[in-house]
Amino acid sequence: MAEPAYTVASDGETTGEEKSSSAFPEIAIGIDIGTSQCSVAAWNGSQVELLKNTRNQKMMRSYVTFKDDAPSGGVSNQHTHELEMLSGASIFNMKRLIGRVDTDPVVHASKSLPFLVQTLDIGVRPFIAALVNNVWRSTTPEEVLAIFLVELRAMAEIALKRPIRNVVLTIPVSFSRFQVTRIERACAMAGLHVLRLMPEPTAVALLYAQQQQQTIHENMGSGYEKIALIFNMGAGYSDVAVSATAGGVSQIKALAGSAIGGEDMLQNMMRHLLPDSEIIFSNHGINEIKSMGLLRVATQDAIHKLSFETSVQIDVDLGNGLKICKVVNQEEFQEVNREVFEKCESLIIQCLRDAKIEPDDVTDIIAVGGCSFIPKIKNLIMTTCKRQELYKGINPMEAAVCGAALEGAVASGINDPFGSLDLLTIQVTPLAIGIQADGNNFVPIIPRNTTMPARRELAFTTVHDNQTEALIVVYEGEGKKVEENHLLGYFKLVGIPPAPKGVPDINVCMDIDASDVLRVLAGVVVPGSQQPAIPVMEVRMPTVDDGHGWCAEALHRTFGSRLNLVTVQKKMQQ
Amino acid sequence: MSPTVTLPNPNSLHSSRQIPFPSSHMPPRRFPTSLRTHVIPSFNASICGFTQTHSSSGTATVSRRPSSLYEVLRVKRSASFTEIKTAYRSLAKMYHPDAIQEHDSDGRDFIEIHNAYATLSDPSSRALYDLSLGAQFERRPFGFSTGNRTGFYATRRWETDQCW
Repeated sequence: MAEPAYTVASDGETTGEEKSSSAFPEIAIGIDIGTSQCSVAAWNGSQVELLKNTRNQKMMRSYVTFKDDAPSGGVSNQHTHELEMLSGASIFNMKRLIGRVDTDPVVHASKSLPFLVQTLDIGVRPFIAALVNNVWRSTTPEEVLAIFLVELRAMAEIALKRPIRNVVLTIPVSFSRFQVTRIERACAMAGLHVLRLMPEPTAVALLYAQQQQQTIHENMGSGYEKIALIFNMGAGYSDVAVSATAGGVSQIKALAGSAIGGEDMLQNMMRHLLPDSEIIFSNHGINEIKSMGLLRVATQDAIHKLSFETSVQIDVDLGNGLKICKVVNQEEFQEVNREVFEKCESLIIQCLRDAKIEPDDVTDIIAVGGCSFIPKIKNLIMTTCKRQELYKGINPMEAAVCGAALEGAVASGINDPFGSLDLLTIQVTPLAIGIQADGNNFVPIIPRNTTMPARRELAFTTVHDNQTEALIVVYEGEGKKVEENHLLGYFKLVGIPPAPKGVPDINVCMDIDASDVLRVLAGVVVPGSQQPAIPVMEVRMPTVDDGHGWCAEALHRTFGSRLNLVTVQKKMQQ
Repeated sequence: MSPTVTLPNPNSLHSSRQIPFPSSHMPPRRFPTSLRTHVIPSFNASICGFTQTHSSSGTATVSRRPSSLYEVLRVKRSASFTEIKTAYRSLAKMYHPDAIQEHDSDGRDFIEIHNAYATLSDPSSRALYDLSLGAQFERRPFGFSTGNRTGFYATRRWETDQCW
């Protein structure tokens, strides 16, 4: 079952839009790669069905174990005990690591995992390695994900008895476009073509739209609209979406997301139980890994129990003379994770505000993901939305993958005689995209929550007299300063006709097309001229590669503020 | 698609850098309309012309050439909020790139539909737009956007306007 060989396809292959020559188009399957668990679903001709592996499981742990001969993942392989996954030989939480540089706090938080996550804090890809026969064998998050996807693909091919190529994947709202390229690369390595990437709550919104259409079955001319707030929290990420649904059209009004999840609560609790756990485990010795695994399992069990009980007794011998014997209650758990809960609340508030929706206008509140079982999470969603109960028509663990499978069928051009696939999602940009200007500020050109496809332009000008070159540095994110955002790429605009500062008109246009490809265009006009002074530059983004954390600093060191730009009429924009 | 070139405006040296691009980030009210119509299209057309290489549905938009946002959404001037929403959804089902099976759409039609919806679904921006229609500025309603965040003129409109 464990197929060690996977073919690494070229980058170009991910972009190729292959048209199926057969009369029956291949129906893309939906995959939800969770930080902790993963599932696959497909449209079976009349409805969405979750696929099962050979052990009859619908939910599979997301991990890959490295052994002498070949790596094997959580799809085909099953550890007899949770502890086996924590022996150092298994890599998990790939989704938290993929596309992040070693200065990222999320990467730093992963250093207390049993496998090796090494950071040099210089803005390069973190070094990750699995312990195989007392040797740290290096790998990359993309490779681990690709191995896992190969297993998923094989599983789906057995279940559906046909080759699988096209997939719809769900991704966290907070993923940057760079992280998305890493996911696409992992898919290409596994021989999969990404037909669509859906932010997780928008997949849930699509499933909800289908349910509403089926239950009401009104003519879409009626315009009867339902507003849904979707809160999704798994092990690695939290996402919120507000959608307006009518007639099978799911219009996303706003998205919000953050890299906080069950993993953070688990680590907070581990730190609470053993305050210097990070120091103890930092050297990754064999015994320490074992202790760390024991603590992790005990803490996880305790958190699960706290979903049903008010207090829980933790009694674990970590070896090396370390023993933990403690009673933890709900209040303690909530206090330890106060910041996590506050962040969840602020995401919901922000999303409602961005959508310009009052809590009272929301028809249904949908909570999905593993953490939606935590009583405190349920409470905070209901309190924030001023509601007594949550929507019950959706399975919290299966909603995202089912939505992805629906989108897979819709995007593959499948028609359903009963209208079950008469669906459309109108997506918005999860993060703002802009450039560096006015010093080190991030100036958004396409704001977040802009309906896609989109095209926006903004005018800039030079900051120095006779400045003939300008550096266009493109970022994505929500921070006011560029360093708080994700770098997507950069290019230099040369040949600006010499002129006093502030005179040349530098127009930067951003275009997200129907297939979610971002292009950045920049052109120059000088007063008195009717034509652009130089050919317009068009750059497809992201252009950065691994180790891009270096780039912004290197650019700054090389060019200083020599090639900077400022916004024109900054005050007027407000 | 040759740009309309006129004699240099005495103001152009001073203010051409303030060219309002067809984007809501910059309320263009401050600029004399004449200056805008002469200067912007030349530059913008060049960008659009450049991007035309990967847009094939541009011609469709040009041939339709709606004269008002109401026409874009195919509703009456007196349409209610619900009617506008419904029209938007129906059109989205027809013109959204995901809804079009052929992969040759670049989404320009949908952007135009969405921008019309964004303006007409917001009571204050709709009122301002209606005002601009009343003042017989059909050709360049963009002069009256006054800080509407979403904007109601599709980029493609510039090109089509200019082709007149």
